[in-house]
Amino acid sequence: MHAVVLRYRVMAYITGVVLIVLCFVGIPLQIAGHPTFANDVGVLHGILYIIYLVCAWQLSRKLALTNGQTVILLLAGTVPIMTFIVERWATRRFINPAIAAAPSAEPVSR
Amino acid sequence: METGGPAPQGTQATAPVWRFLITPRWLGWHVLMVLSFWGMLWLGDWQLHRALAGNGLSWAYTFEWPLFAGFAVVFWAKTIRDEFRIRRGGGEVPEDAEAVSVAQSLPAGLGTAQVQQPADDADDAELTRYNAYLARLNEEVKGTHGKRHGFR
Repeated sequence: MHAVVLRYRVMAYITGVVLIVLCFVGIPLQIAGHPTFANDVGVLHGILYIIYLVCAWQLSRKLALTNGQTVILLLAGTVPIMTFIVERWATRRFINPAIAAAPSAEPVSR
Repeated sequence: METGGPAPQGTQATAPVWRFLITPRWLGWHVLMVLSFWGMLWLGDWQLHRALAGNGLSWAYTFEWPLFAGFAVVFWAKTIRDEFRIRRGGGEVPEDAEAVSVAQSLPAGLGTAQVQQPADDADDAELTRYNAYLARLNEEVKGTHGKRHGFR
């Protein structure tokens, strides 16, 4: 459980930061006529987001989230800042309770 | 209670398990999945044409969108498979994690109209987990040293 949470958290933060850099540095540069930065960072974000998808998916299964909640988790990596907000939401709402319920062993829940 | 149709699975099922797949909620998700799948393939195709027309970055998207479409199919299949397991395995049929937590938050005396409650041992397991959760929350709030326990 902890490994899954950690993977998700790491990817959420990395993806979130890269996306912010892409949007708030890359796009202005692109508009100003220097598109290469946005292109390169864009490709990087694309790769990172795929990894994020897998990690977020695994977490959603571990926490037995509903379909709607899973969709929110998966799409969080597409909107700047959303990654961090969703990570906080997931931590408070699902992760901490799940860990409190079985801190020393894998939760026997769904 | 016979509701017609074979119910070979589970000890608590009063209707075939797969019926949940055709509830309005799940039908909505099916539709969304299908639309997303074709939408993503269309986007990939769009990017393919852009790439062929000279936009280099579009090559990345040309492969990324079908990959996402594939993810969606795999994720959806696994979600449904998990849902079958949950419904067959425990006999408890919570609609979603929220329903479970709501059910658990009722005081012990209330909420006994749980028609789909599992057998007693599973019941006790839920109760035990919930009690452990409460105990830890209590400890967290009024810990012996007064400090909040962080992420363990």
